[in-house]
Amino acid sequence: MDIGRAISEARPRVVAALAARLRDLDQAEEAFAEASAAAVPAWRAQPPRDPAAWLWRAAWRRALDAKRRASVRQRLAPDDPEPAPSPEDELIAANEPIPDERLRLIFVCCHPAIAADSRAALTLKLICGLSTDRLARAFLMAEPAMLQKITRAKRKIRDAGVPFEVPSRDLWPERLEAVLATLEIAYAQAYEDAALSAEGAPFAQEVLRLSGLLAELMPQEGEVLGLAALVRFAEARRPARLDATGAMVPPSEQDMDLWRGDLIGEGARLLDAAANLGRTGPRQLLAAIHALHLSRRETGVTPWSEIVELYEALTLFRPDAVTAVNRAVAVGEARGARAGLAALDAVAGLARLTGWLPYQAARAGLCERAGLKGDAAAAYHAALALGPAPAERLYLERRLARLG
Amino acid sequence: MQYMLLVYEPERLNQGAEGQARLMEVSGKHMALAKAMSEAGAMQAGAGLQPVATATTVRTSAGGQTLHDGPFAETREHLGGFYMIEAADLDEAIKWARQVPVRPGGSCEVRPVATH
Repeated sequence: MDIGRAISEARPRVVAALAARLRDLDQAEEAFAEASAAAVPAWRAQPPRDPAAWLWRAAWRRALDAKRRASVRQRLAPDDPEPAPSPEDELIAANEPIPDERLRLIFVCCHPAIAADSRAALTLKLICGLSTDRLARAFLMAEPAMLQKITRAKRKIRDAGVPFEVPSRDLWPERLEAVLATLEIAYAQAYEDAALSAEGAPFAQEVLRLSGLLAELMPQEGEVLGLAALVRFAEARRPARLDATGAMVPPSEQDMDLWRGDLIGEGARLLDAAANLGRTGPRQLLAAIHALHLSRRETGVTPWSEIVELYEALTLFRPDAVTAVNRAVAVGEARGARAGLAALDAVAGLARLTGWLPYQAARAGLCERAGLKGDAAAAYHAALALGPAPAERLYLERRLARLG
Repeated sequence: MQYMLLVYEPERLNQGAEGQARLMEVSGKHMALAKAMSEAGAMQAGAGLQPVATATTVRTSAGGQTLHDGPFAETREHLGGFYMIEAADLDEAIKWARQVPVRPGGSCEVRPVATH
């Protein structure tokens, strides 16, 4: 068995279960780390039947030991003799299944009393096990600053008494936006660099599961359904996102036979249910854009004009650079490369985009199609200099080489 | 857990005849809240404070202590009163804090009381 992989796959459920019991995120992570360290030699000798259950029991035993040591230290002398059987014996004898506490932990990490940018980082760290270093890169921050941010958030949760509960329904509207934004950021991390990144795929499975779980729990929330649909549509294309050499393939050029029909069907049902609620939001619009890309399966063509319209609607909710650059690319497809470039130029004035990879990549593609070879080459070089993920790097290098 | 609810408001809200009328109205709301907190078993202590003009600050520096006429912080909002409550967790404390009659421009800070 791949021990490292088994540990990282078990991590979300085990850490969430520990955190719910201990009500202390640091203790939960420490206990899990100790159990993981013990697992490596133990599993080499004898692989466990259920790695998650093994880790849960081992980590819980360690957490109890640590708690007992701490309380003995505090009191100096133990009071009553220990009741028999000990809690560990009971736990191991009960052999209870690991409770699924992930949703609860997500709501803890996304509590409005925690600073907004810390919520996503904390959730990604605790639920998905992303390293502080990876989080720092994702949030464009120095590693010590990220560590400090996470430490501060954990301390606040512990010391201010943030409840370890799924909030009551009257609190959902306030809590949900934070949770959805966090899952969206989490999925963006999983989506990056397609299948080349070993970290991404199991992590995407987690977001797929969690977004489905939320949709089940909150079927009246259009944006919850929208996010679940969005993740399913995007994951449906995962098998087609790389070619044989590992280079990125844009949606309109992907082999449609590789798209996963099961996920497309699930996503379509979720998006229909969201539409019936009659409250459009940004995640539903993004899901609808994905659905239009996928509609090529039925019609053979990508309906670019409709995609442009959806990006325009999305601009009302998210008037940011991401929406603007994506719209410009769609305009380039719908109305010609020159029109796309004009749209992109209009955006460039909005912010300092020249140091932003998606902008340079979009510019390169549009210049190439407009026959502006020199400008295209310059933009491809600029994009490559901005550190694309391996799959995108291969794609950009190949396009650049093709320019001649 | 014990929490302090610290009420901060711009003091000028209480100035003039209109301000005094508002102050009376708000005081009534505070009394109603204190009653609700007592009945729920949450109330431990609470009081309004005299205006900041009555504040004296003892400031400590390396050279020793000096007295100053005025509040600790020269801000627009001042600490006007507090509640000390018992609550199960932060959400319960926030629920009470939302009911504190703070006027626009004011705020209510929720701080857990240290237990060690």
